[in-house]
This record gives sequence, structure tokens and C-alpha cells, in this order.
Amino acid sequence: MSQTSAIDQLTAHVQHHFVDSDQQFESAKMGMWVFLVTEILFFGGLFAAYIVYRAWYPDLYIMASEQLDTFWGGVNTVVLIGSSLTVAMAIRSAQLNQQKGIVINLLITIALAFVFMVIKYFEYSHKFELGIFPGAYYTFEGIDHPQANIFFSIYYMMTGLHGVHVIVGIGLMVWLLVKARKGVFHSNYYTPVEITGLYWHLVDIIWIFLFPLLYLID
Amino acid sequence: MSGHHISSAKFLWGVGISLLILTIITVGVAFIEIPSPWNIVVAIAIALVKASIVAAFFMNLYWDSRFNLLLLVVGILFFILLIGITLMDTLYRTDPLPSF
Repeated sequence: MSQTSAIDQLTAHVQHHFVDSDQQFESAKMGMWVFLVTEILFFGGLFAAYIVYRAWYPDLYIMASEQLDTFWGGVNTVVLIGSSLTVAMAIRSAQLNQQKGIVINLLITIALAFVFMVIKYFEYSHKFELGIFPGAYYTFEGIDHPQANIFFSIYYMMTGLHGVHVIVGIGLMVWLLVKARKGVFHSNYYTPVEITGLYWHLVDIIWIFLFPLLYLID
Repeated sequence: MSGHHISSAKFLWGVGISLLILTIITVGVAFIEIPSPWNIVVAIAIALVKASIVAAFFMNLYWDSRFNLLLLVVGILFFILLIGITLMDTLYRTDPLPSF
């Protein structure tokens, strides 16, 4: 392969409206950070609802929190932190041109994300068995508070929306995995891995706040 | 690509382990009887430390363009505005609590 062709390979991804690969990478990162800020305000509205209801009904929160299993919430926290570590390692592999490293680390991240959703599934189905449904469908008798269904509406909205974000993250990382196995990413071009990683870290950060606020009200 | 900070594997693992330790602290502190509202303050403070570590060292804000950090900080500022102004209303209402 000639010298010019090799350089073309390394810069094929650079779009005409960017000066060079670096500028393109930096603007992709900035764009993702702008999106992450919108996500923070998106969840922020739900956190606002949580805060107002906790201010109005503090006893309800203490009572209702007993229905949330602290152990499995803690396991899910460890699982997500682990997945943040592995996605950071995947980016590092891309930076060092280690295709196998990208694939393996993405696989582990996806696996951990699946573990998170499986645990969520068991948490939710256990609650459904007890009649703990959101809003108007709530039939559980075990919490002596007239607004008990409101706490669980907030719980389901916050953890449910977060779960949807985890599923989207799984989809993104499977797409990255397919591309990584084809050898698309190298040390000169790993932008999709980088910005998907940023998204995934935010999903982790949101859970870092959800866990103590929902599961550790004691 | 030049100028991209590459963290060592050891460093990333170190960050991961410190996050796990902080998670253990988070759970441990929940078992200590702290009078309200300080129990919430402590829980949020620990969560903020964990989130800052993820943002700085996993999301690379420590080595990135300062503009990305500015975006995050201003976003958080607006979130605080949302919470603060909402609470200024709801906490000082004299009306009875709504039926919902």
C-alpha cells in the first residue's frame, strides 16, 4: 500500500467542513456535552418533583423506601460503576489501536448493562406482584399513607426513564461493537466510542444520585 | 490524534476502585443516625464527590477543553435555579397541601 493511500485511510473520516481530524473530534465531544446538559435538565425536572414531594411528605418517603431493596440497589450501583470503568478502558484501547481491547471491553460493558436491566426487571416484577403500580393502578395496602402511590409514581418515572436510557446505551454499544469488530476504529478515529462513552458515564452519574435518594432513605 | 490524554489502565482501575469505596461509604453512612436534613446533605455530598470523579477522570474533563467543563457547570447552575426557585414557591406556601 502506498504512503498516500495509508494517510488517506487515517484521515478518511475527516469531513470537508472541518480543518482537521482534531477539530472534528473536539466538536463532536462538545456536541455530546451539550446533549448531556439537556439530559441533566431532563432528569432535573423529575428530581424537582422528587424534592417537592419529599418536602411535603417526608414520612411517606421513609415508609415507602422500605419497599426498595437496598442490597440490589447497591449491586446495581456497583454494576454501573464497573461498566463505566470498562467503557473507559474501551476508549483507552481505541486510543492505543488495540482492536481486541475495544471489542472485549465493549462486550463486558454491554454484559454489565444487561445485568443492571435484569436486576431492574426482578425489582419491578416483585413490586407488581405486591400491587405496587404507578399512579391510578396502585393497589398495595402495606404502606399506611394516603399518598403512597405518588412516591411510587416518582420512583417508576425516575428509574424507568433511567432504564430506558440504559437500553438506548446497550443499543449504541452493540452498534459500536459491530463497527469495532470490522476494524473501523483506530487511534486516529474513535469518536463514536468516545462520545458514546460520555453518554454512558452520564447514565452512571444519574444512577449515582438515584441510588441514595430512593434506596437509602432510612 | 495528538494532544489526546490517554489514561493508564492502572489509573482507570484506581478511579473505579475509589468509586466502589465511596459507594460502600454511601451505604455505610445511611446506617448512621444523622438528624434530618443533614442526612440528605451528607448523602448528596458523597454522591457529588462520586459524580465529580466520574466527570473529571472517566469523562476526561480534567484534561479536556475548559469549555466542556463550562458547559457542565452552567448546566448544573440552571438545574440549581430550577430546584431553588421551585422550592422558594412550594416551601413557603400557606395553602393546605393539594389532594394529589
